[in-house]
Amino acid sequence: MINEESHGLGRGGMNCLQFENALSDYLEGSRTSEQQAHLSSCTVCSNLLADLNLISAEAFSLRELNEPNPKMWNTIEAQLRSEGLIREPSPLLSDFFRRWRTAWLVPVAAALLIAAGVKLYHPAKVGENQSVSKVSIPKISPAPTISAEDKDVLRTVASRPPAQAVAYRNDLDQANAFIRDAQDALRNDPNDIYSQQLLMNAYEQKQMLYRLAVDQGNDEQ
Amino acid sequence: MTDAKRPKGAKLSEPEAIEKAKQGDAEAFEFLYHLHKRRVYSLCLRMTGNTASAEDLTQEAFLQLFRKIATFRGESAFSTWLHRMAVNVVLMQLRKKNLPVVPIDETTEGEEEGTIRKELGAPDERLAGSIDRLQLQRAVDELPPGYRTIFVLHDVEGYEHNEIASMVGCSIGNSKSQLHKARIKLRDLLRVNRAEKAGKR
Amino acid sequence: MSSGKCAAAAVAVLMLAGVSLCAENVRKDLHFKVGKHPTISINNPYGPVVVRAGAPHEVTITAILHSDKVELDQSKSHNRVDIISHLLPGADLASGAVEYEIVVPPDASLTLHSDNGRVHAEKLRGDLTVAGNSGAIEVVDCAGGHVRVRTLTGAINLNNVHGDVEVMSVGGDVVMSGVTGSMVAVNSNSGKIEYEGDFSGEGEYAFTSHTGNIEAVAPAYASIDVLARSTNGVVQSDFSLEPKHAPFLVRGANSLSGTIGKAASSVKLFSFSGKIRLKKRQN
Repeated sequence: MINEESHGLGRGGMNCLQFENALSDYLEGSRTSEQQAHLSSCTVCSNLLADLNLISAEAFSLRELNEPNPKMWNTIEAQLRSEGLIREPSPLLSDFFRRWRTAWLVPVAAALLIAAGVKLYHPAKVGENQSVSKVSIPKISPAPTISAEDKDVLRTVASRPPAQAVAYRNDLDQANAFIRDAQDALRNDPNDIYSQQLLMNAYEQKQMLYRLAVDQGNDEQ
Repeated sequence: MTDAKRPKGAKLSEPEAIEKAKQGDAEAFEFLYHLHKRRVYSLCLRMTGNTASAEDLTQEAFLQLFRKIATFRGESAFSTWLHRMAVNVVLMQLRKKNLPVVPIDETTEGEEEGTIRKELGAPDERLAGSIDRLQLQRAVDELPPGYRTIFVLHDVEGYEHNEIASMVGCSIGNSKSQLHKARIKLRDLLRVNRAEKAGKR
Repeated sequence: MSSGKCAAAAVAVLMLAGVSLCAENVRKDLHFKVGKHPTISINNPYGPVVVRAGAPHEVTITAILHSDKVELDQSKSHNRVDIISHLLPGADLASGAVEYEIVVPPDASLTLHSDNGRVHAEKLRGDLTVAGNSGAIEVVDCAGGHVRVRTLTGAINLNNVHGDVEVMSVGGDVVMSGVTGSMVAVNSNSGKIEYEGDFSGEGEYAFTSHTGNIEAVAPAYASIDVLARSTNGVVQSDFSLEPKHAPFLVRGANSLSGTIGKAASSVKLFSFSGKIRLKKRQN
């Protein structure tokens, strides 16, 4: 048949145009016996297929062909420093506060962590209104203990309307309960990101309470 | 690429560097940058065909990486995560500039005469047993932007069509057909290049 | 005295009383010209603050002071406006109250503080920081800036807000509808957290509570990577999640981990003892 001959008809009845139209699927792995038969008898199509395979194979070599400007790192580093992403290592604070970068966190939270650390490992001082049996080992004591820092803050709030002062004390108790629960969870597995997140959030809440007490105290002077 | 790479003489391994970078360690950031800079830069250069754009996009990709490194959870390889980020950076830039991310012609069949029909009667030539990498690079740079994107993502970077379709917003069928056309076009460019060189001798 | 005269006298007394009450309310109108991206700060211990976006380069403040026991301190320097309701000795919740209505340029950065009054912010494009105590806070139709909200017990309502969002409340309920961003973080103690939206934007969504319940309603087409856990509470999901590796042991009814769709956004729902529910929106 004249048309088939002029279109490179090989054995199996498929012509070159038909082969090329199906070539994309062929290269994806979908192959028919007709296509295989055509390839075996058609130099043009087999050359095309070989070239496309070669291009595809060589493309991989372009992955790491080029090197950027040697000064690029300097620019990136400067930007990272300006954004505060490069910091001196601080193993205690960094994991807790890195992700929640707010202006509220850093100054008071550092003090909270240190205070909490002291609380965990040392018995509380016996204050005017505290009984010894309540304070020494947080694990055993069922009743919430008030730290010296908490007392100071509650004194600040005491001059507020009574309803506000009571509400503030309730909120502080809730924040302390959250810290205790999160600390207990973390003791079981210090690497548990869930417990770490809970503890960090608990401290953030306490820091917010402290900050609000201080800010409002200043307002009323 | 293998995981847990430790370049010669380096004190850090990649997982160690990642953990330190999460804490803001400058040396760790630099280590990760040098480990992956060629791949990221080459990707940006292939997809844009332009050195200045590639440099800007490489910087942006690394900055985004370091800003978000705290969120890396290790479910995929770090390099996979980084390169995906770099691809997104480039695609966003192409979209901003209104350059075609998805090839414009969505033709599937019968729209144009096949390559082979045009070649009927032409000498039976094929590319040599190997292709010069620089020539291939130049040919890729000459591809229309839409073809270039698909070719780079699939053949150079190794993404599957379903991933490409999701990234660039086209159908899987379109991704396959445009990849095929990109390869055909590259073949033509490489053959022209070789013919020109032969003619000069 | 006739009944008519008695009635007239009564009305007159009432009117005088009304006038004297109204006389204690003082209205102040302030107007400032500002440049691009101005910074505006309002500190109002008692009373509502309502802020809306208006014309560029102009800040208009209408304040109604409820007594002479509160003064308005105002300062303007360069591109910054500060307004403080200054409480005088003897001021309380009622006498120290000031009602604010403020119109600002859309690109303004705002810091608002009200202890017990309602705060409402609408149609803003700049950074917004709101701190309250027991008053309710509403942020509506805001996009493009960083939104930070904190209360002790006041309820927080965010509606159609897009951008980085950080919310913290000890006892206030947090309700979000159509809130998206690259980072949306809610930290609650006993207040509940409710979210309705598609978690879009390839963002990180982290909702954490101590005892408050967490409920998220997402569409079937949501594309999220979910991590949920409650030590003492139940975790439930309407979605069938594709399994994935979790950084902690996924145990029965207390936690779940998996992906929906392409997992474009990260969603962490953590509570110590609250119930966590991921619901599929019924269209």
